[in-house]
Amino acid sequence: MSDAVTETAETSTPARAARAPRRAPGDLPFTFVDAALVTAISDRHDEPAWLREDRLAALAQFDALPVESSMLYTPYVDLRAASLDAALPYPTAQDGAAVADAAAHGADAPTAGLLELREDTIAVATLDPAAEAAGVRLMTLGQLLMTDHPLGRRLVAEDVALPADDKLAWMGRAAWTQGAALVVPAGVRVERPIVIRWAVGAPRTTIARTVIVLGDGAEASVVEELVTSDGGVAGEQSLLSLTTEIHLGAHARLAMSSLQETGPDQVVFQQRLARIGEAADLRWALAQLGGRLVRSRVDNVLAGDRSVVEQTEIVFGNADQLHDLTSYTRHVGRDTSGQLLSKGVLLDNARSYMKGLISIEKTAIGTDSYLGEFGMNLSKKARAVAIPSLEIDQPDCRRAAHSSSVGPIDDAQLFYLESRGISPDEARKFIVLGFLEPVVARVPLEEAQDRLRDALEAKWAAGFVAAGAATAA
Amino acid sequence: MTSTRDLVRDERDQYAFHDDIVYLAETKRGLTRETVEEISRFKEEPEWMLEFRLRAYDHFLKRPMPKWGGDLGTIDYDKIVYYRKPSERQEKSWDDVPEQIKQTFEKLGIPEAERKFLAGVGAQYDSEVVYHSVREELQKIGVVFMGTDQALKEYPDLFRKHFGTVVPPEDNKFAALNSAVWSGGSFVYVPKGVEVPLPLQAYFRINGENTGQFERTLILVDEDAKVHYIEGCTAPIYATDSLHAAVVEVIALPGAKVRYTTIQNWSNDVYNLVTKRAHAHERATVEWVDANTGSRLTMKYPAIYLRGEGATAEVISVAVAGKDQHQDTGAKAVHLAKNTTSRIVSKSVSKDGGRATYRGQLRVAPGATGVTASVRCDALMLDDQSRSDTYPYIDIQEDDTTMTHEATVGKVSADQVFYLMSRGLTENEATNLIVQGFLEVFTKELPMEYAIEFNRLVKLEMEGSLG
Repeated sequence: MSDAVTETAETSTPARAARAPRRAPGDLPFTFVDAALVTAISDRHDEPAWLREDRLAALAQFDALPVESSMLYTPYVDLRAASLDAALPYPTAQDGAAVADAAAHGADAPTAGLLELREDTIAVATLDPAAEAAGVRLMTLGQLLMTDHPLGRRLVAEDVALPADDKLAWMGRAAWTQGAALVVPAGVRVERPIVIRWAVGAPRTTIARTVIVLGDGAEASVVEELVTSDGGVAGEQSLLSLTTEIHLGAHARLAMSSLQETGPDQVVFQQRLARIGEAADLRWALAQLGGRLVRSRVDNVLAGDRSVVEQTEIVFGNADQLHDLTSYTRHVGRDTSGQLLSKGVLLDNARSYMKGLISIEKTAIGTDSYLGEFGMNLSKKARAVAIPSLEIDQPDCRRAAHSSSVGPIDDAQLFYLESRGISPDEARKFIVLGFLEPVVARVPLEEAQDRLRDALEAKWAAGFVAAGAATAA
Repeated sequence: MTSTRDLVRDERDQYAFHDDIVYLAETKRGLTRETVEEISRFKEEPEWMLEFRLRAYDHFLKRPMPKWGGDLGTIDYDKIVYYRKPSERQEKSWDDVPEQIKQTFEKLGIPEAERKFLAGVGAQYDSEVVYHSVREELQKIGVVFMGTDQALKEYPDLFRKHFGTVVPPEDNKFAALNSAVWSGGSFVYVPKGVEVPLPLQAYFRINGENTGQFERTLILVDEDAKVHYIEGCTAPIYATDSLHAAVVEVIALPGAKVRYTTIQNWSNDVYNLVTKRAHAHERATVEWVDANTGSRLTMKYPAIYLRGEGATAEVISVAVAGKDQHQDTGAKAVHLAKNTTSRIVSKSVSKDGGRATYRGQLRVAPGATGVTASVRCDALMLDDQSRSDTYPYIDIQEDDTTMTHEATVGKVSADQVFYLMSRGLTENEATNLIVQGFLEVFTKELPMEYAIEFNRLVKLEMEGSLG
């Protein structure tokens, strides 16, 4: 079996790192995703012809598209903070390293399952036996392909839930080496949350896919965690490019939260698309805290009649972080509803781009759609961009609206809290954390909620210390 | 029913006329370096203006067509006549205006309007200002209101100091085109502390098939002065495409107040690609009151750069997009100084397959503390063949900005129509009334005569949908 990728990694790293090419804001910060990489991945896994062909077809799309395919948003793309030539892709995921600890996810545990993918290894893969008995599958995408080839093949290459105009989504399809799969059969209800954890940070590139399928009437809640591994090297960047492909059958219900708390040298590209079936219900709770540069895209396709999506997203940026977040909500079926809320708090030199587009197609009679984007700039050097857009082809709707605001901490709220004996610093903290609370409250796992609150507080405290130092100086 | 007939009577012929003018001088079709030089030579311009035009021409060639906005694919630059001069000299009084042109203005109602309360009239017939009257009292208080070409000759220093400073030729492809071949338009100067008591008005018209119209307006309002400028447009209906690429520059010096009102009714074959921008200095107020009806495609985003502390900007913009029309309009407020305020209100109506797009930008630059800004966009869609888009760009780079933005899209409420019909209105009348009510935020800002004219235009547009 060819080891070309690994060899390339070892021989050329220093040379590539030495000369970082000049790039425009919309250029990808690496060049290593090419036919050589894709065929090497395919060879290494000894993949069947259909999968290799799918990868190569995806690569052609990847090559043909610009990073930002919407003319609306091209002025607001900036990948210059990333420099990933040295962060070469993992050639493959390590097999068989998983620790199966079924006892940890028995009937008494707060969670029903955990899949932890740490760098290029499978660290933990465990599922409540009761859920397993009901036909729920939580495994890597590779394992799904091995154990249920027809389903695996359909999800990986045939009925793919990814945006067709997104370069990075095609990159995931072409060059993925790791994957997570959660399959909940029709009618099965998983009561406790399932955790899918990605631990990254080593100066490498991880290109991965997550596929979640809920059959008709199925119910589940998922907590996706993006955290740091201990493989990080200060000052050396790491890339995680991760797709999330969600298929919801009729009347299915999914609560999907994603907490991104990676390290300061992490570059994160996330491409998520949900196909929402008839009367199905999807609740996103998304928190963006970590990373040096984050580019995230969420597509909600409300295909089924009476389908519902609620998306709540927060950004808490500090230092030189850039969070570039786009959300597309397409209303296709009748009487669908979309409630989207994005909130951002920015400290230091942080930037956030919140781009959103609601499209109401001609078929989407009776739509109720709302998009809200709200920001708090707490530093003179912070920059908040909001582009909440609407494209409407069907006026017969219950509601089609957006609103946004940007403002400082409200003086009246501050005064009220201070009048109750709370110190000004505490009061400011309460107001800011309260502003971000809607996402915390929607995370379906208590310990994850607590961790998120701690992370927000820690970030606030760090920003407060930095501000205090600046004032003192 | 007679009343309904009355309501929907097609009054368009009144606005669609096309006189056979003998053009005295015109360039041949198409745009070349020679065309630009020829225009400048015709007008006996100073050397710097020729250089300015050529610089703009070079940029125009280099600059790609914008890929966003509307469909610009069918503009054929080679078919356009870039300059034609309908009469040899500027006319000072109404009596000197050639009879044929006078008749055209008669149809537009200029003499009546003038008799009533016009402060001055700058009427553009094709590519030249042919008629201009400025009331004596305006001259007495030092207000300059004349054709842009004339101003270049009579006020060379003032002109050169400000021309092209608000919209440089490199700003966009159509500003470059205008800068290369501009002709006509108005020049206004209001001296320090002077308040112009009545609105200054200019009627613009396009006449002659395939005549490009590239007027250039420069309005300079000195410290603590005040003026309201109104432009209204009607155009004859032609079979092939016309291009209107104007540039309007407004400079409001400290304490000045400027309102610029546009009522537009281009015929349905016109591409209306206009750059309108104002600089508001300390404590100055600039208001764009802008209506877009007619045209095949309008791309227009009146802008205000708030450059001085305490400046205020307001844009009220309405658009009506009917069959085969795309109104891609909006507003820009760029806050560059402390304690500046902006308010944008946009209302659009789309019907019969028309497309109305709001595209706006609100930017708060670093250092511009204490900014208050609001944007409100509402769209009304009258049927499901039409389309409505909203693209607001909000870019805040300060920590104490207070910005709010709201947008809604909806249809005419069946309840409202039912209620009005129960009061004896026909469905057409009811819809018409609701649309006029929706647009009232704009109409109420107009002088009464214009409000009446605008409501009539809306009614005509509605009539198209009802017929």
